[in-house]
Amino acid sequence: MTRDASLKLGAAGLVAAGLALSSGMALADAYPERPVEMVVTFGPGGGADVMGRQMGRLMEKPLGVAIPVSNVAGASGNAGLTHLRTNPADGYTLGTLISLTVASWASGLGDSKPEDFRVISVVQNSPSFLFVSADSPYQTAQDLFDFAKANPGQLTVATSGYGTQDDVTLKLLAGGGVKMENVPFQSPGERYASPIGGHTSVLYEEPGDVAQFLKAGQLKPLVVFSMERHPAFPDVPTSAELGHEISGLDNFRSIAVRADTPPEILTRLEAAILEATASADWQKFCTDTYSCIQPVTGDAAQKMVTDFLQLVSKQLAS
Amino acid sequence: MQTLDFLLAGFQAAFQIGAFLTIVVGLLIGVIAGALPGISFVNAMAMALPFTYAMDVTHAMLFLGGIYVGGVFGGSISAIMINVPGTPASLPSTWDGYAMTKRGQVKRALTIAVTASATGGLVSALMLTFLSAPFASFAMKFSQPEFFAATVLGLVSVIAIAKDRPIITMISLLIGVAIGTVGVDPLYGQARFSFGVPEVESGIRFVVVMIGLFAIGEVVDLVSTDRDLRPKKPQGKASGASFRDILNLKGPILRGTGIGCMIGVIPGAGATPGAVIAYGIEKQVNPRGAEFGTGVEAGLAAPEAAKNATTGAAMVPLLTLGIPGSAATAIMLAAMMLQGVNPGPLLFVMDPSMVYTIFAAMIIANVLMIGAGVGVAQMFSTLMRTPPAILAGFIVVLSLIGAFGVRNNIFDVYVCLAFGVVGWAMKRVGFPSAPLVLGVILGPLAERYFLTAVANSHQDFTVFFTRPISATILLLALVFVLWSLWPSVKSLVGRRSVQEAGLDSN
Amino acid sequence: MAMVEKAQTDPSPVTLTSGGLPPLLAPALACVLTFAALILPTFMFHGDRRLQVNGLGPGAWPGAILMALAAFSAVWLVLEIRALVRGKPPVGLSAPRDEDVYHYGKAITGIVLVILFGWLLPIIGFALATASFLLVWCLYGGLRNPWVVTLVPVLGTVGLLWMFMGLALMPLSRGIGPFDQFSVWLLKLIGIY
Repeated sequence: MTRDASLKLGAAGLVAAGLALSSGMALADAYPERPVEMVVTFGPGGGADVMGRQMGRLMEKPLGVAIPVSNVAGASGNAGLTHLRTNPADGYTLGTLISLTVASWASGLGDSKPEDFRVISVVQNSPSFLFVSADSPYQTAQDLFDFAKANPGQLTVATSGYGTQDDVTLKLLAGGGVKMENVPFQSPGERYASPIGGHTSVLYEEPGDVAQFLKAGQLKPLVVFSMERHPAFPDVPTSAELGHEISGLDNFRSIAVRADTPPEILTRLEAAILEATASADWQKFCTDTYSCIQPVTGDAAQKMVTDFLQLVSKQLAS
Repeated sequence: MQTLDFLLAGFQAAFQIGAFLTIVVGLLIGVIAGALPGISFVNAMAMALPFTYAMDVTHAMLFLGGIYVGGVFGGSISAIMINVPGTPASLPSTWDGYAMTKRGQVKRALTIAVTASATGGLVSALMLTFLSAPFASFAMKFSQPEFFAATVLGLVSVIAIAKDRPIITMISLLIGVAIGTVGVDPLYGQARFSFGVPEVESGIRFVVVMIGLFAIGEVVDLVSTDRDLRPKKPQGKASGASFRDILNLKGPILRGTGIGCMIGVIPGAGATPGAVIAYGIEKQVNPRGAEFGTGVEAGLAAPEAAKNATTGAAMVPLLTLGIPGSAATAIMLAAMMLQGVNPGPLLFVMDPSMVYTIFAAMIIANVLMIGAGVGVAQMFSTLMRTPPAILAGFIVVLSLIGAFGVRNNIFDVYVCLAFGVVGWAMKRVGFPSAPLVLGVILGPLAERYFLTAVANSHQDFTVFFTRPISATILLLALVFVLWSLWPSVKSLVGRRSVQEAGLDSN
Repeated sequence: MAMVEKAQTDPSPVTLTSGGLPPLLAPALACVLTFAALILPTFMFHGDRRLQVNGLGPGAWPGAILMALAAFSAVWLVLEIRALVRGKPPVGLSAPRDEDVYHYGKAITGIVLVILFGWLLPIIGFALATASFLLVWCLYGGLRNPWVVTLVPVLGTVGLLWMFMGLALMPLSRGIGPFDQFSVWLLKLIGIY
């Protein structure tokens, strides 16, 4: 945290205080003139938190103010979004909006809609993989799928829950004849420990979250759910190559504000995010988590969220 | 030996200036908070939680560990000096400790208490250090059914300990488990008992419930009684206890330590039952047992040793299984999860340096506690000159900040207030609140272990009984329940009334 | 460790003196609990957005727990009624044995003050709410020294603001509307923003 920045700001604030108070509202062109809060919609430690903290840290320089992070966890990220939605639309509250939360809307959680938010930029995106432990009897995706076809429901897959994009992927696979049992583990630690300990056959996850186990050689990626192979895993076949065209269910993470935020502020924030994602720090971070993308901004970012919601809703309803 | 190498590295890390100061500050906060009536070490840890966000996970654990160790002892200062246990676990210390104070032996009582506590804590920390790693490697075999069984053991042990009123304890526990089901369920992502209110979907967190039940009711009581909190001037010449005096008490101290270590390891039990049971047993075996309550030194030493001996022991299930056995370790779990660290058998493989730094810190904290305890005891009289109203006012503000800080959500403040009112009422009618809190802590764990275990075994419910480790733990839990229900059953069958059966446990 | 703690704070939780509790309180509470545990399952889900469910479903665990709660509460009710009929003190409840006088009026006032504080927090902001709460609380606690009554709330609030908003970077409430502007001004004044 740049305490210096906020201290200096505090001193400057003394002078500006009278002005701000007399003019009533902070003017948009003066934005930002006090710390901007970054609401991370999950508890500390998860993928959304690491992203929010990186982004907050890197946006401090372009915006010139401190960006303290507050974790407002609960209800698959919906508690934090309620906080974001009920704070003033003045650009002083940013929030993380991630695919998991959007998928939760499809299963009826929360009372947020895509129209309530303005997605400034989707900054991270990662397809999911199936992993097995290093000593698993299935060393290729073909082996795994063949066994699952011959013995429907025999194999167990550790996922994050029913009604999530994990569930949708497994449903689509089952539609293609590869029937495996969904075993939800709420705690990420247990989700990874179970396949490693041999208690569950397969793990469904994005690679960034299990990077340490991949590096230690405890987990082995078998297949990626995407149309193209992942640049970091050129040897891992796509599901499409194996006859299952499953895509568009990637894990994305974005920064959003309230929908009716003034356009000047949106422009300012977008510029700050683009500057942050161009930095060497961010590039190292997203490479380490296998989630680098060209940031998606503006209407395209908004559309990404609505499309994702439609896809998941359709699959869950079917 | 690998353990010793790791421990040496742990000591080096813990003696870094930043880490060391963190332990000392935590310890002092713990002793002071523990000594203040109305703030137990659990409340102090809950209030300290927001500060750990800014630390890395090791420092967070050193800080909370310091508060824990210091707070468990701190309660004895007020127990001995003003006959008010600053922390419930110090209750037995009022019986012989305050009797000594009335005889003018306050300094001697405090010296004995702090030495016994430190000895118990130290042995317990050593046990944690040397038993955790082997236990963790054994626990690698654990899967969801075993975790479920261990959680059940934790849930039922509270009934076994409060065996005077099994039915009401069970009801309190079940209410807690039911409260734990509010909000989004762990597997299906469906909101339960939300009554259409979006905020409720986030669920009810145990820290919030605990602050409400324990802190707010306590504060109200603090200002609603005419209790004089100022220590009386000791009469006669104050004299401490020599090394020789302590050595003469080695029997009670060692027995207390052993009992504390054993009780601490059981998830669900803790400092309070540890101290009470140690006092009861010492009363049976000590030649001067009949005089207990009149200021017998052994009657002070045994519960003091037992109470702090539970601290290290209670961290064994937390670090090796990721199952918090008590409110204090549950807060440590929350702090670790907040930093993205999932305790469990894998932790010993993935991050042994952190684990051994925590071990080293627990050992250091128990040694430093002697100094901290004596120091705080000396300034205690000054501390108690603060009017109770000011003390109470700040406890209220800190409690609500603590509740808010769990998730930065104002809804949690409302929940905390609601439980504050409920907790006050429960205390007034003698409805036990501790099992309820345990239910809120362990209930959600039990649910998700259960559901995931069933899903992972293709909906086969026998999985809990066909796996040997899981079956053994569940059997142990069953024995616990039967043992605790036996007096009631006996009384119903025989001529004795329920009332007399209840008196057995004291 | 504070597991069984509060249950044992009261020096003798076992003594079953009816100690000033209304005789019908225990059976009434048992009755309410039994009834609540029986009807709560119907309110478990709001609306009817049920998905097709694999496995036990989200209602299985809470349903089982509430069933157990209903069973135990019913047993308790029977025991309490038996005790009542035989003219014995309640089985489950006992008033704490206070060594001192307990002022119920003062306790209720205190609870109301604490609730008011929590209610005002998000409206007028943490700073104003805390300062006024501490002020009222000091008066309520019988403190009359003007120095104490002004300095404790002011210095206390500034100290807490620095500690939690400055150091721990917690987003404590700034209040709404004009209170928000006041809080921002105050935070800039004391150098946190």
